[in-house]
Amino acid sequence: MARYLFKRLLQSIVTLWCVLTVIFLLVRLAGDPAQLMLPVDATRHDVVALNASLGLNHSLGVQYWDYLQSVVQGNFGESLYYKQSVLSLIAERLPATLTLAVVAIVIAIIVGSLMGIVSAIKKDTWIDRLSTSLVFLLQSFPAFFIGILLILIFAVKLHLVPTSGNATPVAILLPAFTLAAYPIAPIARTMRTSLIENMGEKFVLANQAMGFNDVDIVFNRVLKNAMLPVVTVIGLELGTMIGGAVVTETVFSWPGLGQLIIQAVQKRDFPLIQAGVIIISAFYIIINFGVDVLYLYLDPRVKKGGASR
Amino acid sequence: MKKLIGFAIAVVVIVLAVFGYVKHQEASSTKVANKPLVIARANDVVGLDPGFLTENAQVVDNIFDTLVTRDKNEKLQPGLATSWKQIKPTVWRFKLRKGVKFTNGEKFTAASVKFSLGRVLNPKNNAPTASYVSTISKVNVVNSHTVDVVTKQPDPLIPTRFNRYPTEIVPEKYVKKVGEKQFAKHPIGTGAYEFVSWKKGDSVTLKANAHYWDGTPAVKRVVFKAIPQTSTRIDALNNGEADIVTGVSPEERKSVKQSTTARLSTVKRGGNIVYVGLKTNVKPFDNVKVRQALNYAINKQQIVKYVLKDSAVATNSLSGPKDAGYTGELSGYAYDPAKAKALLKEAGYPNGFTATLDTVNWYADNTAVAQAIAAQLKKIGVNLKVKNIESSVYRASVPAGKQSAMYVLGWSSTNTLDADAAMYAVLHSGESYSTYSNTTVDQQLDEARTTSDLAKRKQLYASVEKTVIQDAPRIFLYQENTYYGVSKKIQWRGKIDASINVKDISYTK
Repeated sequence: MARYLFKRLLQSIVTLWCVLTVIFLLVRLAGDPAQLMLPVDATRHDVVALNASLGLNHSLGVQYWDYLQSVVQGNFGESLYYKQSVLSLIAERLPATLTLAVVAIVIAIIVGSLMGIVSAIKKDTWIDRLSTSLVFLLQSFPAFFIGILLILIFAVKLHLVPTSGNATPVAILLPAFTLAAYPIAPIARTMRTSLIENMGEKFVLANQAMGFNDVDIVFNRVLKNAMLPVVTVIGLELGTMIGGAVVTETVFSWPGLGQLIIQAVQKRDFPLIQAGVIIISAFYIIINFGVDVLYLYLDPRVKKGGASR
Repeated sequence: MKKLIGFAIAVVVIVLAVFGYVKHQEASSTKVANKPLVIARANDVVGLDPGFLTENAQVVDNIFDTLVTRDKNEKLQPGLATSWKQIKPTVWRFKLRKGVKFTNGEKFTAASVKFSLGRVLNPKNNAPTASYVSTISKVNVVNSHTVDVVTKQPDPLIPTRFNRYPTEIVPEKYVKKVGEKQFAKHPIGTGAYEFVSWKKGDSVTLKANAHYWDGTPAVKRVVFKAIPQTSTRIDALNNGEADIVTGVSPEERKSVKQSTTARLSTVKRGGNIVYVGLKTNVKPFDNVKVRQALNYAINKQQIVKYVLKDSAVATNSLSGPKDAGYTGELSGYAYDPAKAKALLKEAGYPNGFTATLDTVNWYADNTAVAQAIAAQLKKIGVNLKVKNIESSVYRASVPAGKQSAMYVLGWSSTNTLDADAAMYAVLHSGESYSTYSNTTVDQQLDEARTTSDLAKRKQLYASVEKTVIQDAPRIFLYQENTYYGVSKKIQWRGKIDASINVKDISYTK
């Protein structure tokens, strides 16, 4: 058990280092930030001077080594625009993104699981087909489309919620529903497949023979077993949501990490882009790690190292 | 199944209850008078120190004052300075307003002016907009309320420069006490509004300065809100959540016009003068006949009317009507494809040629405009390949001279409202954004830059424009309009210098 966790930790560190290296090189391929920081009518001399003061006139190797050293010491640098430590900038924005992601995933879990369960119980009936197509529909609409549609209906026509921002608690409803639309599909589908698979087990047949009805069997006997693959999917989707809230945050002016990073990319704010991507990757890794640990409890076979997942 | 239905009902009830609560909250909140005025813009601010802005000064200009301001007709008038005079060719003397205090109680004096300029001019500080004041060598304190601004060469634009960032006056003691970084997060000025809070990525809130030297403004509280998505911004306006929205695109004009609660404010020629730049040292554009032929082949009136739906004004002028030094509209090249063909033949290109046209989304409908240009040039045998370049790439490649030989660019007097800013950087040889070189034009632009007599300057600019039209280093196109959405509850119209002075806004009675 301890050895397993240690191995996973080591893997995580190596992954993060790879992410760091790739993003470090990528942002530098994209061009230098000094030109973008200065007004359009700045002189060439200003650009050169600013680049030098940002330390971007050193060779790539020197810059990389410096960056690696400071990151190991927990220093991710200062934003070129905000003139503030990037970690504090990210810390300011992270709660908004996390709240949005958690509320969205809760919505997705409730709606997705219910749809999956209904589909499984009513397998191959019109209800199943309706539910499955609905899920597909939600998944195939891009977030900005659903977002704008929701704003038009619930904010502009019905005046139920504000169009944007996070000033009031209810303002989270539209962005959360928008963000939830995509993961509802994989959750529902996995739930349906997994339930149907489990419903074929012999103990279910025995239960049915004893006269229990299907709903009872699903909720009281099969659901826990069927949850295993669903937990994996939920974990993966949550990770994706933290990084993937960008479009939703933009549509609804949600002041989260996604918006911050998008602006950083547009302005070539190197330290901020680097730290933002590394932090999001770290979240993804932590969530995956959490899912693995959860497995140990849900599926005793993993603990024994017997079955692979 | 019963459980399921029960659960579904519970969810619906909860959602309805929440909505009901909101409705109730809204109803009660509208009763409270003095809701803050909300101004929705595309971006949140990144810093509030006017000396070190990397964005426009729309927000900070409400917190800080400049020595010189503009009246409703954009004429320069006294601000923190009560009068100014060029006492020597290289010295401008400003008399300062007495009894003005920063909102922390600190006194505004001549030393404040010296300090505010000094930190921007100090090369060690790398102020992003230092080039706007680079003609100034130093500021001398004459007495507590008089300063002399000393320039390296005679500079007629000094009063204009003191109307615009980075010359806002900041409190010396406070800045030195808290440091520049903290100052950018919590600014203090002498302006009509006082900083309240900044919710990063979301909004900046200001409140009226009760002791403002020019009277307390009507709007007591104002929120500058960031709404990046344009459609959401318009929805917020139509929904009554925003009172002013900036950056209304031409295609959204209709949606604002149809609104029952808001109206459209048009600033005619408030945007960039858009043109197709030609690299005059690259074949075939090194031949003036080719450049003239391209101008004869373009029907810009048609482009403005049918592609841009009149969101711009066709012009051959190199500066805008409100710019000091503007010399009126000039006739240039009338649409004449036959003449264009003849000129191409004379230049040695009877069958035309092939070229690439770079364009970028900084300008409304830029792709459609580029395609219209390509279609019109095809008629004289010039085959264009239109290349749409990503914004930040273009921003770096054009000043480095790495763009194609034909490139779309827009320029204007960027809030200084002076012909110098509109022309110098795009026409003077050796400037980053110029791909043109003419010694007469260079010399006249330099002279106009150091001449104080406006009539003389106008003559110089008129001469420059005449030469440039003849030389055709560009395909002359149009100047864009800018649009704002404004709630019917308030009185305000968009300004040509893109400023939003909240103190000038009043409520409709």
